[in-house]
Amino acid sequence: MFGFCGRLLHVDVSSGRSVHHRLEESRLRQYLGGIGLGTCLLHDYAPAGVDPLSPANPLIFASAPLVGTGVTTTAKFAVVTKSPLTGFIADSLSSSHFALELKRLGIDALVITGQAPSLVYVFIRGEDVEIRPAEHLKGKNPRDTESSIRAELSCPAWVASIGIAGEHRVRFATISNEGRHAGRGGVGAVMGSKNVKAIALCGDRETSVAHPQEIEAIADSLRRRSLGSLTDKYRRVGTVANLAVFNRLGTLPTRNFQQATFEDADALSGEALTENHFSRRHGCASCTIRCERLFKSRTSNGGYDQRLEYETLFALGPLCGINDPECVLQAAELCDRYGLDTISAGGTLAWAIEAGEKGLLPEAQTLGLRFGHGDGVLAAIHAIAKREGVGALLAEGSKRAAIETGSNSSDWAMHVKGLELPGYDPRSLKTMALGLAVSPRGACHNRSGAYEADFSGEVDRFHGDSGRGRVVAASEDFAAVLDSLIVCKFLRKCFAEFYTEAAELLSQVTGWTYTGAQLRSTGERIHTLKKLFNIREHWQPEDDWLPERLLSEKLTTGVGKGVGLSPDELREMVRGYYQAREWDENGFVPARKIEELGI
Amino acid sequence: MRPMEEPNDVTAATAIVLAGGRSSRMGTPKALLLFDGEPLIVHLVAALRRLFADIVVVAAPGQDLPSMPVTLVRDEVAYQGPVGGIYYGLRASGGEVSFVTACDSAFLSSRLISHLLSQIPDYDVVAPHWEGRFQPLHSVYRRSVLPLLEGQLARGELRPVYLFEKVRTRRIDEDEIRRFDPEGLSFFNMNSPEDYREALKRWSDVHGSNGPGPTAAIHCTVELFGVARMLAQTREVSLALPPEATYSQVFAMLAEELPVLVGQVISTDRNSLVDGYACNVNGLHFVRSAAARVNPGDNIVILSADAGG
Repeated sequence: MFGFCGRLLHVDVSSGRSVHHRLEESRLRQYLGGIGLGTCLLHDYAPAGVDPLSPANPLIFASAPLVGTGVTTTAKFAVVTKSPLTGFIADSLSSSHFALELKRLGIDALVITGQAPSLVYVFIRGEDVEIRPAEHLKGKNPRDTESSIRAELSCPAWVASIGIAGEHRVRFATISNEGRHAGRGGVGAVMGSKNVKAIALCGDRETSVAHPQEIEAIADSLRRRSLGSLTDKYRRVGTVANLAVFNRLGTLPTRNFQQATFEDADALSGEALTENHFSRRHGCASCTIRCERLFKSRTSNGGYDQRLEYETLFALGPLCGINDPECVLQAAELCDRYGLDTISAGGTLAWAIEAGEKGLLPEAQTLGLRFGHGDGVLAAIHAIAKREGVGALLAEGSKRAAIETGSNSSDWAMHVKGLELPGYDPRSLKTMALGLAVSPRGACHNRSGAYEADFSGEVDRFHGDSGRGRVVAASEDFAAVLDSLIVCKFLRKCFAEFYTEAAELLSQVTGWTYTGAQLRSTGERIHTLKKLFNIREHWQPEDDWLPERLLSEKLTTGVGKGVGLSPDELREMVRGYYQAREWDENGFVPARKIEELGI
Repeated sequence: MRPMEEPNDVTAATAIVLAGGRSSRMGTPKALLLFDGEPLIVHLVAALRRLFADIVVVAAPGQDLPSMPVTLVRDEVAYQGPVGGIYYGLRASGGEVSFVTACDSAFLSSRLISHLLSQIPDYDVVAPHWEGRFQPLHSVYRRSVLPLLEGQLARGELRPVYLFEKVRTRRIDEDEIRRFDPEGLSFFNMNSPEDYREALKRWSDVHGSNGPGPTAAIHCTVELFGVARMLAQTREVSLALPPEATYSQVFAMLAEELPVLVGQVISTDRNSLVDGYACNVNGLHFVRSAAARVNPGDNIVILSADAGG
């Protein structure tokens, strides 16, 4: 077998036993790696109705066929589990050396189940698995955890770990490696629930590919394309460039989606950050784009370099009414240190601020949580990570916190299926509104790029119609293929004809004959498999819906002032989406579709 | 002919206006025919100024012309026909590449000119072919053809097409021309008073009753975001555009104002944005075609085409 290893490693941390299992070629052909393979294994390993934070919920790390091939942006891995935040699928991606090392173990996936009696870390060296005590790592941040483990091992290991938030099972805790995070859906809480502080990998195998020379030619071409104008934004400003543009286009969520523009956007713009705070650029292993930007924070104890992306900037800035870049950098640093998803952290904080200001959450006011008050936001992040005071409630995420708080606070808990919304206001991006509503993992900007249609002028972004269903479905399938090969989305526009080129690349790696059409239907198969997992976990049509605020309050500022999103408009788009997917009118997948896709 | 050393900077191209013809059938110098009260050549130079920083006007010895911000050269030997004019113009030009036009071309298309310029990197001459004939007085030439033109003058070969047979000539056929200038008005020349009357009528149709003078200019603001803002070191630029200007003209004028954007944000032919960049009007609608018209007072937003975060 080329490109794949044809086996997985299952580690049960309750018993300490580990077993390698064969992975059939037919399954790898059908689902590829990454999110596709991870979703497939989730169906296998997760008992129906499993409690996400129980020992039986599997935590799956999946590699992919392009990992280790040297093709730019492909050093990635997927983390798939049942989300403690949504109760549905959580499929997160992270990248860099940990991804390469996972593949060097000679496995396509690592499945962790069980619960260790005390805090441990899993050390895998080649074929050997060792469960090691980790009490001495308790309370450490991911960066210190990585360096401590590397110092005590005799081989140069790569480490993924959780911070305090994961240890405390904060429902939006991340798994972190090399400063990056598998961020969304609470995968870190699942790892924490297993009493696993970290996973350290030390591999010694190289996966063979079928046609190395042909792959090198394709890799070389992609490398060159990755350095052209199509990736300018990522290479020269970073994703933080979105903030000023989104503000101009009236789609920058501000003060818990009460506005779609922020009056102090200039201070937080990517351009201003670059001018005033830029420190250096960084990239993942095997990546030529190198989109990461580190910005200097100047604290009283000398300052530090902090990684900042648009989503973090929006969520800890305008969403909470914060206009001070220094405060956003500090909040981002805290989230990284504790291992918290910054989008869900910002979304939950913004909900809490509003609840406090409306008199429903006095503890939030006591903590100093107010729109625009940086100190309160920083204090609340500490409290969430440690589950202290009101932090214990907020550690549950906005959906659960609102249900617990009651009154009408669920109306402005800005989540879909429990996952907090990213930084795109759906009222001025109607295709995105649909993408967010129907995404299997909840409000997500990565499992489809539905916003692309809105930003292209192909559609009227202020008005939704049933035709968006087809657009969103195509975008989801495209993302499913990218996430299963795995190729970074920032490379996506560099392909002249993605499916044809990616199929050619996959064929050269695996030695299998793969066509563009096959790859396209593979995307649909993977996406449908995610949906089927959710249906198995009691998904209902009302889960494909948006928060009440978006459906009852019109935009009050910016170019979209006066524009709203009516329930009928959303219903029509959702109906069009189910139709495009050839699902039934309630969004369930009919047996003939399952059969047609070969699931 | 030996190919030119690459690359050549077409962004620094020169415009050459040949004004020294006899105008015998017209009875009056064509360059001075009045449109909206101004000599045609004044309009022509103003239009070319939007695309070219360097303009050369080739006039006959002793010919009267209005004062203009151009390099004025005189034919050393009068009335040698177009080959002489092209030769003297190229010799005086500062750039490696020049666009040559006759002084009676009242309806130049900046989009077509930009397209011709975009084709020159692999050729020595780019010449439109319209209604069965090459249009040498609406063509782009490399300076390297000078020795060949000198030879033609010495031999009395006064037709430019002789040159086209000797060098790498890119022929632009009608279908291709129509993409930029549907009616081929770029090749409308005036040889008689009847032609002048026809031109005045068309001028009125194209420019409206007020003509294209400064008072009729429309104003818009270009807002720069991301890479464009950082390269230009400015957030916005105000532009005065001719009536019914298109986005191609916006990009061309912006390129003139902010040359640093050319090749990075604005394409080297200056009539579009490079891949990866997009244009939005007033924060509302995305521009899908560079041929779309600009409305007075528009705020034109230049941003990355990729909204991924």
